[in-house]
Amino acid sequence: MTGDRGDAGLVLEGVTAGYGGRPVLEGVSMEVRPGQVTGLIGPNGSGKTTLVRVAARGLRPRSGSVRVFGVDPYGVSARRAARLVAVVPQETTPAFSYSVLEMVLMGRSPYLSAWRSGNEEDWLHTRRAMEAANVQHLADRPLEELSGGERQRVLLAQALAQDAPALMLDEPTTHLDIRHVVEVLAVLSGLARRDGRAVLAIFHDLNLASAYCDRLYALSEGRIVSEGTPQSVITRELMWNVFGVEAEVSPAGAAGRPSVAVAPALPLAPRDDSPRAHVIGGAGRGAAVMRLLAEEGFDVSVGVLHVGDTDQVLAERLNLLRVTVPPFSPIDERSADDCRALMAGADVVVVCDAPFGPGNVDNLRLALDAARSGVRTILIDQVPIEERDFTGGEASRLWRSLRSNARSVSGPDEVLAGVHAGRGQI
Amino acid sequence: MLGPRRREAVIPALVVLLVGSCLVAIAAGAVWISPLTSTRLLAWKFHLMARPRHIPEATSVILFQLRLPRVLLAAVVGAALAAAGTVFQALFRNPMADPAIIGVSSGAALGAIAVILAGGGAALDGLGVSGAAFVGALATAFLVYRLARLGPTVQVATLLLAGIAVAAIVSAAISLIMTFSGQQIRSIYFWLLGGLGARGWQALAAASPFVIAGAVISLASARDLNLTALGEERAAQLGLEVERFKRVMLGAGALLTAAAVSVAGLIGFVGLMTPHILRLLIGADHRKLVPAAILGGAVFMILADLAARTLVSPEEIPVGAVTAVLGGPFFLYLLRRERTRAGARP
Repeated sequence: MTGDRGDAGLVLEGVTAGYGGRPVLEGVSMEVRPGQVTGLIGPNGSGKTTLVRVAARGLRPRSGSVRVFGVDPYGVSARRAARLVAVVPQETTPAFSYSVLEMVLMGRSPYLSAWRSGNEEDWLHTRRAMEAANVQHLADRPLEELSGGERQRVLLAQALAQDAPALMLDEPTTHLDIRHVVEVLAVLSGLARRDGRAVLAIFHDLNLASAYCDRLYALSEGRIVSEGTPQSVITRELMWNVFGVEAEVSPAGAAGRPSVAVAPALPLAPRDDSPRAHVIGGAGRGAAVMRLLAEEGFDVSVGVLHVGDTDQVLAERLNLLRVTVPPFSPIDERSADDCRALMAGADVVVVCDAPFGPGNVDNLRLALDAARSGVRTILIDQVPIEERDFTGGEASRLWRSLRSNARSVSGPDEVLAGVHAGRGQI
Repeated sequence: MLGPRRREAVIPALVVLLVGSCLVAIAAGAVWISPLTSTRLLAWKFHLMARPRHIPEATSVILFQLRLPRVLLAAVVGAALAAAGTVFQALFRNPMADPAIIGVSSGAALGAIAVILAGGGAALDGLGVSGAAFVGALATAFLVYRLARLGPTVQVATLLLAGIAVAAIVSAAISLIMTFSGQQIRSIYFWLLGGLGARGWQALAAASPFVIAGAVISLASARDLNLTALGEERAAQLGLEVERFKRVMLGAGALLTAAAVSVAGLIGFVGLMTPHILRLLIGADHRKLVPAAILGGAVFMILADLAARTLVSPEEIPVGAVTAVLGGPFFLYLLRRERTRAGARP
């Protein structure tokens, strides 16, 4: 890994490439630096595999330039290029039956000539590659007898045997179980950090891309739409704009890398004649009820909630009507009025067993007013009020008053039964 | 597949088998020439010992003018066809490929027949026939390959259909030529059936250089043939100049086929069966498979020709018929096996 290769690993500049009429890649510029794992993400058909093909001397770009450690792969022989850049394809189906060892040895092809078989060095690289990919125990097994994950690791070993300073992987973890995912990605990190190789990997699993890549490129319809650290690339906006998915993106793990969680499809938008429900929640205690009511076709409103509260985030994602106040501030008069109006017009008010403190205890007063004025009110009384009263008794007193004016249920599951039972009584 | 140690023994075993089958094939016939006698005569010919006594002059003539060239020609033709089959199967990524099935043999035959008729029977053993056979074989190989190729791979069904279609067109052309060939129709017919009889040293001399050249190219390309078995894109990623390699190997395969067809006519199934049997025995690593196929093809052809001329002696069965009788059922078995495997694939 020495020699004058400049400081850049794999560099694409303004690459436009395609197979027939319409270009698959348009004006793509990217840099895969040595010593880093760079991730390539994007929806199906966005051109990720084509990009790898272009960089690996498999598809000459119509315009723009490709440089691998300063060398134009299209300007040198296939053999020379194969010593510079190794590719791990998604899958290879040999026409005949080859053993794992034979497969990995093929990775040494760029170094061997017709009459010269492998020497000590070739065997060393082959053995190391097999150990790194954890396939040494499979050496004599025929490839077609192996599982998808084992085959994928054989292809990794084959590419590692090439001993190229640039390594490109097309979804290296698709068929792997979680243990091997971690192993393979650790190998890639080691190749980048320890050996200073430039590693480019296509990921479908955005959380893996986020956790293991130093830099990310997001590809959409043949163009790079975002690049940078995982934190700057994997965002809610990207999820929606590029993948067309509503997802929660939140920091995860000790490193705080973004983690993507997708929710089930949004409930149907309520119609004008949908029954109305208002939910008083907080700290996630209202989440189940909000979902349940929204899925049942209720026009759901929530509040008053603090911005940043788990229930507030979910309500936003569910696109519910919500009354909010800034974090840590008490409920102001305007919010209280809004909330009062929503409750007055609601067919049912659900008060969840959220924790109550000085910041939100007014919610209970508002609910009590509504209940007393005849709005059907359901109280989820699962967690004892004493355990979640942070007002020094005030919340407990209000809760007990609510009990005598509302129907108590013992959990979110029973809310619907409560709603319907309440209806029957009228 | 055999165990690793027995796999290593296959090539030495084939060498022994080749020498053995040569001696047996030289010995058998209307006049029995014992291996001892033939060995002594050969040793004399190579100036290793004095002219052995008590051996009639006729025996010497039969050995050197009839048996020896015929057996050697069988070996060369068999080696050529088996090597060509191995090359085509790797190149087409398909165990069904074979010079006869994909129509290359017919193409070579068309070229050869055209020259035979144009130049008369005298051209039979000349370089013109070999050259024309080579051109015909090469043209057919490229044509079938282009027709069968859809996207990155060559599909088995498309390949076979394209090969059959091209072979049918070429056969029609051959029939047409034969219709207007007048008195030569019978000799062309027997030539087409395939045979090694009465071709002599001249045929051997005409075919051998091409076969040796083709075999050397195939042996030198063994490692790269392994790569093409992974698919063209993967082969390129592993450092193979794929387009150039394909052209060279199609040329080498056509050269081998043309050399065999120009001296022995159409002989099917040797190219299909030999690599297949050997792959089952020693695996698909072409560094072992190509030399084994060259040896195995030679052995197979010597034995098939031996059967052709001794089974219904003094009549002679065309050797192409012998290989077809052996190869036809084997081909059907392979076809079924492939289908079962394809069906079982997830």
